Amino acid sequence: MARLSFKGGIHPLKEIHEGKHATKDKGIRAYMPEEVCIPLDQHLGAPSTPVVKKGDMVLVGQVIAEAVGPKGIPVHASVSGEVTGVVQKQLLHDKPSTCVCIKNDGADTWVEHAGLGSVETAPADQIIPAVRSAGICGMGGACFPTHAKMTLPEGQTVDTIILNGSECETFITADHRLMLEQPEQVVDGLRAAMRAMKVAKGIIAIEENKRNAYEAITKAASAREGVSVALLKTKYPQGGEKQLIHAVTGREVPSGGLPMHARVVVLNVATAAAIADAVTQGKPLIERITTVTGCVKEPSNLLLRVGTPVSEVIAACGGTTEEPGKMFFGGSMTGVALPDDTVNVTKANNCLVVVNKKDAVLKDATPCIRCGRCVAACPIMLNPMRLNELCEAGNLEEAKKNNMMDCILCGSCGYVCPAKIKFPFKEAKDKIAARRI
Amino acid sequence: MRNEKTTMRGVFINGVLNENPVFRLVLGVCPTLASTTNAINGLGMGAAATFVLLGSNIVISMLRNFIPDKVRIPAFIVVISTFVTIVQMLIQAFVPSLYEALGLFIPLIVVNCIILARAEAFASKNSVLHSAADGLGMGAGFTLALIIIGVVREILGNGSVIGIDVLGASFQPMLLAIMAPGGFIIFGLILGIVNSIVNKIGKRSAGKGAEA
Amino acid sequence: MNLRLSAGPHFVARESTQTLMLDVIIALIPTTAAGVYLFGIRAAWVLAISVISAVLAEFIWQKLAKKPVRVSDLSAVVTGLILGLNMPPEVPLWLPAIGSFLAIMLVKQLFGGLGQNFMNPALLARGVMLVSWPALMSVYTLPVRVLGNTSVEASADAVSAATALIRPSAYSTYDLLIGNIPGAIGEVCKLAIIIGFLYLLFVGTISWHIPVCFVGTVALLSWILGSDPLIAILSGGVLFGAVFMATDYVTNPMLNIGHIIFGIGCGVIVVVIRKFGSYPEGVTFAILIMNILTPLIDRWTHRRVYGMVKKHA
Repeated sequence: MARLSFKGGIHPLKEIHEGKHATKDKGIRAYMPEEVCIPLDQHLGAPSTPVVKKGDMVLVGQVIAEAVGPKGIPVHASVSGEVTGVVQKQLLHDKPSTCVCIKNDGADTWVEHAGLGSVETAPADQIIPAVRSAGICGMGGACFPTHAKMTLPEGQTVDTIILNGSECETFITADHRLMLEQPEQVVDGLRAAMRAMKVAKGIIAIEENKRNAYEAITKAASAREGVSVALLKTKYPQGGEKQLIHAVTGREVPSGGLPMHARVVVLNVATAAAIADAVTQGKPLIERITTVTGCVKEPSNLLLRVGTPVSEVIAACGGTTEEPGKMFFGGSMTGVALPDDTVNVTKANNCLVVVNKKDAVLKDATPCIRCGRCVAACPIMLNPMRLNELCEAGNLEEAKKNNMMDCILCGSCGYVCPAKIKFPFKEAKDKIAARRI
Repeated sequence: MRNEKTTMRGVFINGVLNENPVFRLVLGVCPTLASTTNAINGLGMGAAATFVLLGSNIVISMLRNFIPDKVRIPAFIVVISTFVTIVQMLIQAFVPSLYEALGLFIPLIVVNCIILARAEAFASKNSVLHSAADGLGMGAGFTLALIIIGVVREILGNGSVIGIDVLGASFQPMLLAIMAPGGFIIFGLILGIVNSIVNKIGKRSAGKGAEA
Repeated sequence: MNLRLSAGPHFVARESTQTLMLDVIIALIPTTAAGVYLFGIRAAWVLAISVISAVLAEFIWQKLAKKPVRVSDLSAVVTGLILGLNMPPEVPLWLPAIGSFLAIMLVKQLFGGLGQNFMNPALLARGVMLVSWPALMSVYTLPVRVLGNTSVEASADAVSAATALIRPSAYSTYDLLIGNIPGAIGEVCKLAIIIGFLYLLFVGTISWHIPVCFVGTVALLSWILGSDPLIAILSGGVLFGAVFMATDYVTNPMLNIGHIIFGIGCGVIVVVIRKFGSYPEGVTFAILIMNILTPLIDRWTHRRVYGMVKKHA
C-alpha cells in the first residue's frame, strides 16, 4: 500500500517514538471523577446559557446549558448529582468562563435517551439535528461545532469526507486506542456523516505508526458502502487539515478558504465515534478519551468525563513521579500550557502531558544562522526565517504580503530551529486579523 | 543657523568639524578614494580643491545677485572650471610629480560635488567674506579628511608616512590598503569611527543641555 | 504549583547552533590531521594561531560592543580553523592572526555578527590576504612527510614548489588523492575531505546539492575545455571549498534549487578564473562572488505557497 504524504514537514521526537510508546499499548480505562466543573464555552462560538442553578439535582446526559444561535450547541451533565454552583472560573481563555460544577453522587444515573436506530437506516435528515443536540464539537482540538461543519452553505458541494486518524501530534495515543478498540463505532460515525451530507466517498486516513489500528479499521470498514482506508506516512503535521487533504486527495485548500472549498470535509475519528453514539443511542457527548503521559506514575489512556479537574486526572494515573515544571493539553508541538492543575478537561482535550522541571526549561534564542531548516520544514512552503524578521521588525503589512495568514501555526519551524528561535507567528496572525491590515 | 551674526570663525570651524564634507556630509567620495593612496597625494588634492573652493565661493558670492536663477548651475560650473584650469596649470608647472600622481582627478575637481554644493548652498546666499570663510573651512575639512585617510592607507599599504619609511624593512605591506577595495573599506571604517565619536559628543552636550 | 507557561513547541530538536558547528569541526578533523602529518608541526602552529585569534577576536568584539559573549557557539572556532586550513604551511605566523581578526571583526561582526555576514568570513579574509600579501600567500612547499608508497620525495626543510594545480603532471593520481603535493594545509588530502563530506552528509548538517553541483560543474567544464577532469578536481582547492566553504549556511541560498544554482555558478567561475584569469586558483573568488549573488538567487527561487488555487463551490 502506497503511503500518502505532503511536502515539507518534520518528524518530531523521533528518538523517543514521538513520545507515544508509554501509552500506545495501554487499553482505555474509564475514570469517575468526584466533582466536575463543566465550562459552557468549550466550543468555538457563543457560549451556551446555563439552565440549572445551585442545588439542582441532575442526571448524566441532562442538558445543563442551552445552545445560543444557529451554530451553538447545548452542554450536558457528565455525572449525576447535585449542582454545587454556576461559577466564573479562569481557564485557558482570555476571560473567565462560566462553568457548571456538579458533585458526583457516584450512581451514574442516566437521563432517558433514545437513538434513531442503525446508522444505515436512521432518517438522513434527522442525523445533523441529533449531532447538534448531542453537543458534539470537533474533538481533535479546535472544538468547532460539528453540526455547523456538516451544514454546508447554499450552493456549496462536497464529494469526500475524510476521517482524520493520523494523530501526528506527539504523545497522543487517544485516537489510536479508540480506532483499535472501537473501530466499528468510528466507521459507523463516518457512515452517519456520509448519509447526512449525501456524500458518496468516505476515507479514513491513518498514519503508518498505528499499523494495528489501520488493520482494525480496515477490517471494520470492509463491506461498508463507500468507505476506504488510507495509510499515511508518519510525519508532522500530517493531521493538519490542509496537509491531510493534500495527501489523501491531491487537492489544495485555497488560501483563506475552508476544506469545503476543496470539496472535502474533515472530521476527527473521535468526533465520528461521538456521532455514532448520538445517532444510534441518542447519547450526548459527555466523555472523551484522553492520553495522560509524561512524568506520571502510570501513563494511561483514560475515558474522562467532561469537566474532570486535571488534579484528579493526575491522581488517577498514580500521581507524578517528579515535581512538574510544565503541563500542557495536546501534543508537544501545538499544546496549550496550563497555569495550574485546577483546570478542567473539555471535549477537545485529547492529551495531558506532565513535564518535569528540567524539560520545562526551553533554551534561549540565539541569532539565526540562515540554515534554512525552517524553510524546508514548512508544510505551507512559507519562509519562516523571513517572516520572523518581518514580525520582529513590526512590519506586519509586509509579513501579510509574504502569506503570513496562510501559516497553520504547526510549530515545525520552531521545532527544527538550531538557534532555538521562538517564531512569534500566533501573535502576528492575531494582530493582522485584529487590525485588518 | 547661518545668519548674519554667525562669525567667520564659526563658519570656518563648521566646515572643518560639524559639517566636514567627507566624514559628515559624505560628499566628494570619488576624489577621496582616488587620491588617498598616500598622504602627499591626499594633501595635494586637498590643497587644489581648497584653492578652487575659495576662489569659486568668492566669485560666486560676488556675482550672486547678477546670476539669473535658471542658469545658475551652468554659471557656477563656468566659474569653477576657470579656477580648476588655473590650479591644473599651476600644479603642472610647479609640482609635476603630483600632477602625474593625480592625473585625471585634477580636471575632475570641476565635478567634485563639494564645490558645486557649497556654491549652491552657501556662496549664492551669503556675503563674500562669509563665503570665503566657508570655502576655506570646507577646503580645510576636506584636506584634513584626505590626509587622515591617506596616512592610514599609506602606513598599512606601504609602511611609510609622507614617503618616510616608519615601520622598518621587516614590515610586510598590506597591498589591499592602497588598492580600490581597501580604500573603500578603510574609508568606511574611519567614517564609522569619526561619526560614532561625534555622535557621542553630541549626545553628551545634549544631555548637559537637558540638565540645565 | 509553579508551572511554566509558554507557547508550543514544548519540545524542540536537540540540534543547536553549537552542535552544528561541532559537527563541522568533527568533519574537519581528518583533513586537519592529514595536513599536520604532511606538513609537520609548523602547520599545527598556523592552525592553532588562527583558531585562537578568531576566538579572541570574537570575544574582544563582543566585550567591547557590550553584546552577550557567544564564543561557546563555536562559530569562531570553525571560521578560524577553515581560515588556517586555507593557508600555505610556511606563512609567517602573524598572518593567520591578522586573517582571523579580519574575518571575525571586519566581515562578521561589523555586519551584525553571526548570521548577518554577507560573505563567508574565512574566505573574504583569505581573499584580502591573497590580494594584500600575494607573495606570502602563495609560497607552497613540498610535504615534510609523505603518505604511502610514492615517488614524491619528502623534504625536511621547506622547499618551495608550485601548487599541484600548475604542474599536475609531476604527481600521480594517488598522490593527488592522498595529499603528497604542495598546497594549503587543509586542501591537499582529498581523501580526508571526502571522509569529512560523508560525515556531514550522514549527520545531516549539509545536503549534497552544493558540493556535488560545484565539483561536477568543474569536472564537466574542464573536460569540455580539454583538460583532465579528475586532475581539475584533485589538484586544487575545489573539494575543500565545495565541502566546507560553499556550504556555509549564512551565505548560501535557502532552497535546494538555489543550492544547485549556487553550486553550478561556483563551478563555472572557478573554471573561468583558472582558464582565463591571472590567478592559478579561483575557488576563493568564485565562492565569494556567489555569496554576493545569494540574495538574488533566493529572490528568483521562491516556492509556490500552499493554497494558491481557486475555490470550488
